[in-house]
Amino acid sequence: MPLSTCIPYTQFINDQGELSGPLPDWANDVDLLRALYADMVLVRAFDKKCVALQRTGQIGTYASTLGQEAVGAAVGRAMTREDVLVPYYRDTATQLQRGVAMHEILLYWGGDERGSAWKNPDVAEDFPICVPIATQATHACGVASAFRIRQQPRVAVTTCGDGATSKGDFLESLNLAGVWQLPVVFVINNNQWAISVPRSLQTAAPTLAHKALAAGLPGEQVDGNDVLAVYDRVQQAIERARRGKGATLIECVTYRLGDHTTADDASRYRSADELNAAWKHEPVGRYQRFLHAGGWWDEEREQRLQRDVHQRIEDEVEVFRATPPASATAAFDHLYARLPAQYALQREQLQERVEALGGSSHE
Amino acid sequence: MKQFKLPDLGEGLQEAEIVEWFVREGDQVEVDQLMVSVETAKAIVEVPSPMAGLITRCFGRPGDMLHVGEPLVGFEGESEDHGTVVGNLGSASGNGGLAAEDFHIGASPSTRDFQPVRAAPAVRVLANQLGVELARLKGTGPENLITERDVREAAAGDGTDNGTPLRSVRRTMAKNMARAHAEVAAVMIVEDADLHRWAGGARDPMVRLARAIARACVAEPALNVGFDGKRLSVQPHSHVDLGVAVDTPDGLFVPVLRNVAERDPDDLREGLARLRRDVANRSIPPGELMGATITLSNFGTLFGRYASPVVVPPQVAIIGAGVIRDGVVAWQGQPTVHPILPISLTFDHRAATGGEASRFLKVLVEDLEAPD
Repeated sequence: MPLSTCIPYTQFINDQGELSGPLPDWANDVDLLRALYADMVLVRAFDKKCVALQRTGQIGTYASTLGQEAVGAAVGRAMTREDVLVPYYRDTATQLQRGVAMHEILLYWGGDERGSAWKNPDVAEDFPICVPIATQATHACGVASAFRIRQQPRVAVTTCGDGATSKGDFLESLNLAGVWQLPVVFVINNNQWAISVPRSLQTAAPTLAHKALAAGLPGEQVDGNDVLAVYDRVQQAIERARRGKGATLIECVTYRLGDHTTADDASRYRSADELNAAWKHEPVGRYQRFLHAGGWWDEEREQRLQRDVHQRIEDEVEVFRATPPASATAAFDHLYARLPAQYALQREQLQERVEALGGSSHE
Repeated sequence: MKQFKLPDLGEGLQEAEIVEWFVREGDQVEVDQLMVSVETAKAIVEVPSPMAGLITRCFGRPGDMLHVGEPLVGFEGESEDHGTVVGNLGSASGNGGLAAEDFHIGASPSTRDFQPVRAAPAVRVLANQLGVELARLKGTGPENLITERDVREAAAGDGTDNGTPLRSVRRTMAKNMARAHAEVAAVMIVEDADLHRWAGGARDPMVRLARAIARACVAEPALNVGFDGKRLSVQPHSHVDLGVAVDTPDGLFVPVLRNVAERDPDDLREGLARLRRDVANRSIPPGELMGATITLSNFGTLFGRYASPVVVPPQVAIIGAGVIRDGVVAWQGQPTVHPILPISLTFDHRAATGGEASRFLKVLVEDLEAPD
């Protein structure tokens, strides 16, 4: 059955917050509509807090989600509990939806490995954040292969940026997912910038979704600033994969309104005009206007939400601050199933030294 | 006062320059309210307040460079330790003068040259406990791994086995010379200046050397530049600030004689006398030891003919002057005896060509050989 070489594009809500096409049936669930908004508001506020914590030396480098809240919020919500997320470093929104705690995300970016050992059993099998570019796509194929072998109706969802789609790991993963019909969904957060490389210099392909065609997968674009469009398409792709119909590639077209990370300064390579224009398409404002216009949202709900969000963030930051440092010997743990003799000796020596210091485990 | 210290705003950055303050002393600020923008090597970033409170002190003004860990903002209240960020000032001095032992000769060494040491975690804890600085040790384990024994021996003291650690000026000299030697592509050329035209047999050539170097710099500016080996960039200098190497029992000092091209001989003579006096009294201000654009090492008052003096980046050239001797020279077809001043020039071949160095040396020697 030949695939169409035409790449579909989905948008339900335009920049003004108006409907640009008929909504799918699931959108009759008003609680879900409101929840998606609350998700994005939380991510935006938490993201701002993370940058402030980096700027005051309380966490390390952080990759901001600003402008791309709709992608992660929708992907996280579209997954079911038994699915597995294989994320990259710009997945604060997705991880929050999956059930990772904010203080755990802060621990991770604060350089504490316990920030990837989530307490919530719902996310026990999700993968930790992958920083090397595109390698997570291969991990996701491994996870999906395991589901196939175990005959479990589960799906691996993996995310990446636009720059990652130029990597061999990404293309190899698409190929494998196609030929083995793996239950995996690839979601691209195309925010137009791979650090300082613009989308126009990244690839000559007309869309990033076209890369699916060579692997024999369906590829499609969605408006990544339209949370309903992302939710709808990702959910369809996940259910398709669950039914054994194979993988899908979804390119979410959005924009990175912040710096690449807190160690970057985008004003050195990106014009203010381009940035200002992009703000007109951002996802939170348009969705709020949509909810207001439909009568599903009002000022009172907004104020309650803002208070609640800020309180939750405050509480989580406190938990993060109150977390005692990991023990010195943790540097040796979790690397091997059984520690090689040399390292075991070093660990023992370190333990003795720390005890000799009077139990102060953190230097 | 609670102090908020400058955090590492990038990934391993050591310093940041203050661009603009958004708050003033006496202001009440909220958590996350922007206080100041600073520029690091990577970015201009805005630093928010880590806490709500009254600002009692803004450390530094726009243009000031702060190192990570130095105080940035003081808040009203009792000093208390909030981990690495808001804490006691401790021994880090934000605005004290340079300690006598802390000045650098030539360019200040870059913190990016820092090499990590190899030692197991337990050895690091031990070193920390015993107050041993690992960076100073040479490991005896495989691939120079620092062992527990190395640390214990170092802690056992400035014992007979390990020699006496260098201090102060000699320590600075050792570090700067090692770094310069590792970095510079040094090439030396030598020539003799025949001084028989000099009146009265004067044998203090310092003023003439200073003048000759200044003229050579004007004729061939390629050797009077600053060279950045990391960025491979050259910074020409509009003036000649001559570093004058002065030997002392404590080690090498290189005070700077400013703007030698524009000064008359009496002025230079007096300037040199003052430098020597200041060095002898150890009263030379640190600022006078920085910023030379080219250096003269005159060992003619000691002993020796030629040398290969070490160029200290970002400078690209150093001139050595040996002892003036009576030498047999060919003069108008006949052997004759003239006073001879041996000159050595070392230059950094990364920044200058052999041709440029050769032209420089020619002007220098010809100026020395002139009657006055």
